[in-house]
Amino acid sequence: MVQHVAATETSPALVALLVVLAVAELALLAWALVDLYRRPTSQVNGGSKIPWLILCLLLQLIGPVLYLVIGRERPAPATAILSPGAAVPPPLAAPRPDAAAVVDTLFAGPTGGPDGAASSGPAVELGAVRKTFGDAVALDGLTLNVPAGSIYGFLGPNGAGKTTTLRILAGLAHADAGVVRILGRDVAGGSADARSLIGFLPDVPAFYKWMTAPEYLRFAGSLFGLSGKELDDRVAAMLELAGLTGVSTRVGGFSRGMKQRLGVAQALIHGPRLLLLDEPTSALDPIGRRDVLDMVASLRGRTTVFFSTHILADVERVCDTVAVIALGKVVVESGIDELRGRRGGLNRLSIEVDDPQRLREGLAGAAWLRTVEAGDAGELLVTCDDVEAAQRELPALVGRLGLALRRFGVDELDLEDVFVDLVGEGRR
Amino acid sequence: MNGFAPFLRKEVSETVRTWRLWVLPGFLLFAALSSPLVTYLMPTLLDSLGTAQQGLSITVADPTALQAYLEYLGNLSELTLFALVIAYGGIVSGEVRGGTAALTLAKPLSRAAFVLGKWLSQAAVIVVAAALGTVICVGLTRLLFDGGPAGRMVLAVALWAFYALMLLAVMVLLSIELKAPAAASGAGVGVYAALVVLAQFEVTSSATPAGLPAAGLAIVQGEPAQWAAPLVATVIVTAACLVAAVLRFERREI
Repeated sequence: MVQHVAATETSPALVALLVVLAVAELALLAWALVDLYRRPTSQVNGGSKIPWLILCLLLQLIGPVLYLVIGRERPAPATAILSPGAAVPPPLAAPRPDAAAVVDTLFAGPTGGPDGAASSGPAVELGAVRKTFGDAVALDGLTLNVPAGSIYGFLGPNGAGKTTTLRILAGLAHADAGVVRILGRDVAGGSADARSLIGFLPDVPAFYKWMTAPEYLRFAGSLFGLSGKELDDRVAAMLELAGLTGVSTRVGGFSRGMKQRLGVAQALIHGPRLLLLDEPTSALDPIGRRDVLDMVASLRGRTTVFFSTHILADVERVCDTVAVIALGKVVVESGIDELRGRRGGLNRLSIEVDDPQRLREGLAGAAWLRTVEAGDAGELLVTCDDVEAAQRELPALVGRLGLALRRFGVDELDLEDVFVDLVGEGRR
Repeated sequence: MNGFAPFLRKEVSETVRTWRLWVLPGFLLFAALSSPLVTYLMPTLLDSLGTAQQGLSITVADPTALQAYLEYLGNLSELTLFALVIAYGGIVSGEVRGGTAALTLAKPLSRAAFVLGKWLSQAAVIVVAAALGTVICVGLTRLLFDGGPAGRMVLAVALWAFYALMLLAVMVLLSIELKAPAAASGAGVGVYAALVVLAQFEVTSSATPAGLPAAGLAIVQGEPAQWAAPLVATVIVTAACLVAAVLRFERREI
């Protein structure tokens, strides 16, 4: 901490001077008070000792009071006192409970509940939403529907409009045009009714630093109308879920991972019917990331999760459905498997023969063929519309041409390839 | 207003548990203690100055309780109000800039509850601190002087409190309009200066909030004071600022 550094760097001469000053100050005060006590009132200017006594004591108080009130940071438990930028050790948290069991208790109450997940309409409807900041277009006719009960990945590069979309859904920003509905309720006009159904975690959650985690969760729960034993039970469950049980440190001393877990907990406190998560894992270490994803995965079927990210592995791990957004527009919206298979360029075969040039010439005119490229190891990379036809016909072609087949296989393109492809197309 | 009670509880807790509690009460306490003391000792101090400098003769009338009260009111109207304007420049924008407002306002807390909770909690701090400061000032003055118009003093401080609550409402509005706390404080100082200027003219002093501090001083001195119209105007301006603040904040993106 800065104060500690300053203290250790204080020179002996300065310390000696400060000691002399302190002794002189105390001696002067004692001298004045003793003199005031002994001296007859008639020999005191003003005719009264009281104002001089108050003056002596008051001036003596000012410096210490100023220091104690504004000159120091609020004391925090020792675990929270760290130098800026230092890594914060993880708390001595209780063993992580079964997330699904805790989530069960959360969605058992009347505030949230799985009814939202079970309802027939979409949890989120965005229709031709447009949002500009000056000349910059953040959302350009964004349209998508998030099925109730799904874990929906909202994928896009930085600056694509993900955070703007989530801020509009959370009632923190207004769309310039278009339809924005949450569980059938219009969000326009900052409806508290719609906000009561959602839990929201921004990309960088900011808490009141002077609160502890239980205090913040109680505050969050009370804003949703929770109170009494129900609130107590939910706070305890959320602390357990977030691994923050028994952590008495103020939030100001939390690590990023602890804040993120607390952020998820505060968003879940009322059992929301729609959970909005803005890049919840982007700054977490692998363990923190796994914890958050486990929490999200445990919500499947209980509520709807709308989950923005640019981390493709997270989407593949927990999401049912995904929308890819670029430059404020949805480039594609589909299931994960469907996304991998829906584009012709997604199926690629790799084939290695003794004469690649002859095979390349022989491939000309094949109905299923899209492209042929030379691979790094001398193989041919063949992309196609109909992978089954290619798998049938390509070996047969090799046989007809009299070539020696050394290696043949299907490369399934991963989501990253799809993402790069789609985003690049969206930008064009 | 959705969420008003829990948000108000949070504001009060925050005030008590952070530095915010100590700024205005600190000024008020200092004014309450120093005003009677300085008034009482002033003749002695000036006499010492005259003795130290040969040929200089300063004659000062005996200090009175009234002078102590006027000194206290002067401190309230200048030092304390200036501190108020500086301290509350970020009363709303501080939370918006810090990101805590986003997490709070994504819950079913109405924007009106957010704005009014902030104003009401700090209004309570000002009123309680002014009451305590006045008790201390009156007590100390009674200890040092004989008598004094304590009842009129309490009335004058009550008028000052209305004036301070109006300035607080102005700061809430400015803190919503101007995203930077320093800019809001600067604009607040401008508003305060404009009120001081308006107080110099009979027309504006008698019919606008600008006349309220002067009315308080007149009341303490037992002089006829035009306080009703400035008080009504102050209440109206306070309400108008709060309504405008709520309306503006409801349109504000967080």
